[in-house]
Parts: sequence; C-alpha cells; structure tokens
Amino acid sequence: MSNPSAGASSKSKLGSSQPSETSFKRKRGVFQKDLQHMMYGFGDDPNPLPETVALVEDIVVEYVTDLAHKAQDIGSRRGKLSVEDFLYLIRKDLPKLNRCTELLSMQEELKQARKAFEVDEEKLGTLE
Amino acid sequence: MKCTEERDSRDEASSATWLAFAILTSRMKQSKDPFEAALEEQEESPPDSPVGEDELNSQTPNEAQNQTDGGQNILVDDDDDDYDDLGPTIKNPSHLSSSSTPKLHSTSVNATVAAAVTNKNKEYDDDEEEENVDVELSKFPSSADPTKMAKMQAILSQFTEDQMSRYESFRRSALQKSNMRRLLVSITGSQKISLPMTIVVCGIAKMFVGELVEKARMVMTERKESGPIRPCHIREAYRILKLEGKVPKRSVQRLFR
Repeated sequence: MSNPSAGASSKSKLGSSQPSETSFKRKRGVFQKDLQHMMYGFGDDPNPLPETVALVEDIVVEYVTDLAHKAQDIGSRRGKLSVEDFLYLIRKDLPKLNRCTELLSMQEELKQARKAFEVDEEKLGTLE
Repeated sequence: MKCTEERDSRDEASSATWLAFAILTSRMKQSKDPFEAALEEQEESPPDSPVGEDELNSQTPNEAQNQTDGGQNILVDDDDDDYDDLGPTIKNPSHLSSSSTPKLHSTSVNATVAAAVTNKNKEYDDDEEEENVDVELSKFPSSADPTKMAKMQAILSQFTEDQMSRYESFRRSALQKSNMRRLLVSITGSQKISLPMTIVVCGIAKMFVGELVEKARMVMTERKESGPIRPCHIREAYRILKLEGKVPKRSVQRLFR
C-alpha cells in the first residue's frame, strides 16, 4: 500500500480552509486530537507518534470514504442514503453491528427522555 | 423499547468484551502482549466504546460521590454521551466532563487527559456543564443486568491508576460528529446526512481504529518490539486486516493519490 501520508487527495495545510462542499479539500489533522486519545485508550502510548496518528487518520478517512461510497451504491437503489445502508454493510461484523444498534437505541432513549423533560419543564413554567 | 432481544445478545457480547478488556489491561502490567492474551478470550473485536459525545459535563466533585452506582452510571453515561446539537437537558449527576466514563473513576484521573478532553469539547454547549439535573435512573433501562454491572464494578475497582486513565480515554474518546459530518458531506456530495448516520459512522470508525491499534500491538509483540506504535506496525496491521476482509475493498483502484 503506497504511503498515505505522502499522497492522499489534495490536502491543504491551511488552518482555515473554506468549508466548500463542492471542492474537496482535506485538511491535515482533522481528527488528530481525538485520535490521540483514542489510540491511547486502545493500547498505544500515552503520547502516540505524530506520524502514526497521521497515518491512522488517513486510513480512517479512506475507510469511511469507501464505506460511504458503498453505502451510497446500496442506497441509490432505494433512492437516498440512510442509516440502514451502513448497517447492512457491517452486518457481517457482529461487534460493530451490535455497537451501532446500541448507539441508535440509546439515541432514541435520549430523545424520548429529553422530550419528556421538556414537557415537564413547560409544566413547571406554566405553574409559576 | 423494542430492542430487548438485541440487548440480551448485546449483553453477552458486551460483558464478554468488557471483561476481556479489563483482563487485557490488567495483564498489560505483567506482560507486553496483552492483546494476544485478549485474543484468546474474545475475537479481536474492540471493546464497547461509546461514541462519546462530549456535551454533557458535570462538576467533578460529583464523581467522587458516586462510587457505588458507578456501574449503573456507566450505562447512563452511554445514554448521555450523545447529541450535542440536541441540547440535552438531562444530566447524569455524576457525569464526568466530555464523553461517558465510568463513575468509579475518582479524582485520580489523569488531570491532563481530562483537561485535554474537556478542552476539545469547548465547542459543545458549555451551559450543559452547569446544569446538573438529576435523572431518575429508572428512566433509562439499563442495557446490562445487575450481575454484569456488579462484575464491571468489581473489575473497575481493582484498576490501577494507569489502567483507569487508559480506560477513561477509551470510553471518552470519540471522533467529532461535526468533522465526520463534514467528511460525509464531501464524500457523498449530499447535504442530507442525518444525525443517526453521523453517530453510526463515528462509532464504526472508532471501532476500526481499535482494531487497527490492537492488531498493530500484536504485530509489535510478534516482532518483539516495544514503545510507541510506529507507522510500519500500523501498515502491517492494515495489510492483515485487508487480508481478513475487514476493510471494504475499492471496486475501482485509486490511481492518483
């Protein structure tokens, strides 16, 4: 596999590149800070090497890109892209699938809880 | 909630993964090849990790108080750790800053890690840090039975500081949803990236990072090397993952990089 840190699509080192949706300018180190903590959590050194983090970021972006392209292919049959497409793609990978369903169900619970809370707040507001 | 069946199957998987992770980190003290040991116990699946949305923060003094319901709170943390943009008003009282962490984590937490993690979450609503609404924990159906929580409790209580800080990083770390959303928009060209989609992709990506790092550690132990992970290990790990079929293959070769 060619060296991703050298190539990859047009990367600009601009700190503030225009977030244009049409032209794809990939900034360096979009996920760098998060990735450092994540890699430490998964077993790396408390201070991972910067080149390692950069490489992992490239790999992750490529992974997400491929995943999204495949999901789009699947979703185009249905009409538009949806979460189901991603879930279909990882159906073989049980840990990921379970984790994703867990995340989604938690989001639902949170939404319900927040709605209920806001209703309570309204009631309190009207009482006073 | 209709996901009880899934939850049960998830419980087995999650309890196994959590246990394995705990064993993994406890063995890290003794040997340099914890991941090989962990491999025996479980498939190389990375442990459960919350997406770790970092909006919900609570004052740190609260964490120390809630040592007992740490286990229960872990799951509530998972509930809480989402959706900064939804402006959550529900707070777990013992919620640590940034994404969910086990409440057992006392003040011995790496202050640097906590600070670093909090700093990166500045963009999320800060007022949520001040809010400290007590949530009735009965509202959140715990995704684990009491035995599993008790097991987790027992394991977590025996963590060393080092292990605890690593576990905290593991739980709290997450890829930012905004960045992920931007990336997805640029990939698909469509503006309609729903929130659940972002969350799912963040979760998938985090687990993928876990697989990479674990595999890289295995490669390192095979080569009998130590220290921080180097790019060559990551490349080898990536190559192995490709052979195992864990990485989606491109239908068209990327010619110009």
